[in-house]
Amino acid sequence: MRWCVAAVLSALATIRVGSAAAQGDEDLDLIPSEVLEDSTDGQAVEELAQPPLSSRLFLEDAFSLWSPSTSVPVAYPAELVSWQNRLSLDVNLRWKPWKTLVINFSDRLSAFAEQGNPILSSDTFRNALREGYVAWQPPADHTYFEAGRVNIRKGVGLGFNPTDFFKTRTLVGQASLDPSVLRQNRLGTLLLRWQAIWSGGSASIAFAPKVADSPDLSNGEPGRFDPRFDATNDAFRLLCSIGFDVWDLNPEILAYFELGRSKLGLNLSRPVGDAVIAYAEWAGGPQSHLITRAIEYGQETGTLPPVAPIDPPNLSRKFRSDLVTGFSWTVATAVTLNIEYHYHQAGFSRANWRSWFDVGGAPEASPFLAAELWYLRAYASDQQEPISRHQLFLRAAWPRAFVTDLELTGFAFVSLLDGSVLSQVSASYYLSSVWTASAYASANLGDDRSERGSFPQRLNSILQLTRYF
Amino acid sequence: MFHKVPTFRNDPVFRTAPMYRRYFNASLLALLGAVLAPAQAVAQATPSPSDIIAASDNVKNPGQPFRVGLTLVEYKRGQAHDAVKLTVHSKFEGKGGQYKNLVRYTAPARDVGKLVLLNEGNMWFYDPASKASIRISAQQRLVGQASDGDVLTVNLARDYTPKLIDEPTIADADKQQRSTWHLDLVASTDSAMYAHLELWVEKETYRPIKAKFYSDSNRVLKLAFYRKYEEQLGGTRPTETIIVDAIDSNLVTKISYSDFRAEQVREEWFQRDYLPRFTED
Repeated sequence: MRWCVAAVLSALATIRVGSAAAQGDEDLDLIPSEVLEDSTDGQAVEELAQPPLSSRLFLEDAFSLWSPSTSVPVAYPAELVSWQNRLSLDVNLRWKPWKTLVINFSDRLSAFAEQGNPILSSDTFRNALREGYVAWQPPADHTYFEAGRVNIRKGVGLGFNPTDFFKTRTLVGQASLDPSVLRQNRLGTLLLRWQAIWSGGSASIAFAPKVADSPDLSNGEPGRFDPRFDATNDAFRLLCSIGFDVWDLNPEILAYFELGRSKLGLNLSRPVGDAVIAYAEWAGGPQSHLITRAIEYGQETGTLPPVAPIDPPNLSRKFRSDLVTGFSWTVATAVTLNIEYHYHQAGFSRANWRSWFDVGGAPEASPFLAAELWYLRAYASDQQEPISRHQLFLRAAWPRAFVTDLELTGFAFVSLLDGSVLSQVSASYYLSSVWTASAYASANLGDDRSERGSFPQRLNSILQLTRYF
Repeated sequence: MFHKVPTFRNDPVFRTAPMYRRYFNASLLALLGAVLAPAQAVAQATPSPSDIIAASDNVKNPGQPFRVGLTLVEYKRGQAHDAVKLTVHSKFEGKGGQYKNLVRYTAPARDVGKLVLLNEGNMWFYDPASKASIRISAQQRLVGQASDGDVLTVNLARDYTPKLIDEPTIADADKQQRSTWHLDLVASTDSAMYAHLELWVEKETYRPIKAKFYSDSNRVLKLAFYRKYEEQLGGTRPTETIIVDAIDSNLVTKISYSDFRAEQVREEWFQRDYLPRFTED
């Protein structure tokens, strides 16, 4: 009897196996024979042999076109170009001559051609020495020492980083206005840093000495081969930070010391469900209003006269906060959205904007007055801080959009004071493993008396081609 | 009937998993029972779904800290297209029962130096160009045909609750018939990469043969086939995974594993603040 049962079970099992095998074969038909036959094992082995020198090198050409200037309520003080071409050689080197020592070098050499300038002039070539430092780790230790020009980036936000204290005055020419792209080409700061990293967190102290006086804002682009230490090291600065993990928040606490600009900072991030990361970044300390600081800086550097034609508002130095709070949300494992709110307490209020337009747009306003008003905005940009007190930042990134080699990105800064928008859409197409073509289109949207609508050039487009080596 | 179990007695996973000891005891009893009552012995010798998954994890993952080189080649309609090369450094974390991973891009040139860190469910992406470490969600790990989630060393037994569906004989990627356990795995932790997956594990060897990965909405995202088993770091492990996109089946990615090496993986490598200074020895 037992053997009869076994025979029936066996027959049933055979039937089930047959149907399962058919299902398995169906799945197998999805694998092209070329995939099974192709062998790439050797390439991987070769790649794993790590040389002591690692590098990232590319050549990039970016052609930018702007829409013609339009009349705006506050006249723009400079002649604006309608086109520019930038050819850059970008180098990143990391050399590890010994197990305990790493030498880092990062640099971009660019050649500019633009409307109104001869092909070869003193402004044609500009070099940006981003980093050059030595990192040393004592044997069998968990501490690190660095000396040289180092790019220290802090903050969890995408559109604004209040805790990125070394960001001021560090930007150099870049094609995209996307904040995440802007950070790819910024100057490091001359400093000494100690850092300890352990299994539950890390702590660091960085000291940046003053090596030169503050430069004039008009010296916004690096001249020739000037390393621009005057921009990155015009004050004694100290940054202490400690990071650890508690409640899955990954907090990082920062204390920044600079004469007249000391601040505390905090970064937090936490997953919410499986598709959302929520984050917040805060910094606060005794600080003057943006307008007051801009006028003081302009007078210190001689750009503005000792007695400014516009009076700084009566906004005394007091504790002011900057806050970024937002989240990233990945939709359908394809598109990642970021939505952030930015609060900049020292920034322009609605009243400040009204005053800016009323003073600058008055029939009797002198060109010098307009230049001073625009100086306030240039200062905010140079400090990489928002000019308005409240804004939204929205960003969407879609890798493998429609086809595998296309990546689409878009972002918008929306002023919550006047509704004006700076927006950009971009497309990057990977022509091959070494060639990438990109296109950017950006627009300032809003009425004439708004933050973004008051720019004389409303539209900008860029075509960029990159060759990696 | 006694199933041959891979030799992982010295493996930390084995040492920290009492279920294996239970399984061996059960197997010995099953062997004894087989002599006395063959039909009943078959039922008794079948290990629990959890034990099958744990043993299958041990086939895929070395128990010691290690590094391995990965080459990901993407095929469109059978034509090789993009190639990405990675080095993965993994270390088993006994306390959490999961692996810590650090992935470094070595090709193509535009991605060289980018890093992905997975530590106890937290995942960070570091771009050396912007010096930014960005925390990414479980869903963001799955962006792309072969995603970050597919190249990391993970213990499925830690993140999923398995259920045995049936015991079919199926063809593997090389069209060899394999007698398998067919299991359904449902995510049981927040750090699970997929909401649910099906896994076919070969009896006798506990080798994973095939897997189907599902989205939250129960849509099949991709199929994976494990092949080219070779002796690596004390075990016979798959050195190739073929991933078929379930939505666009013209897209196939082959992941080749090479140069397995045991290494001293330092604990601070798995800290976010270490990412900017990571260099391979």
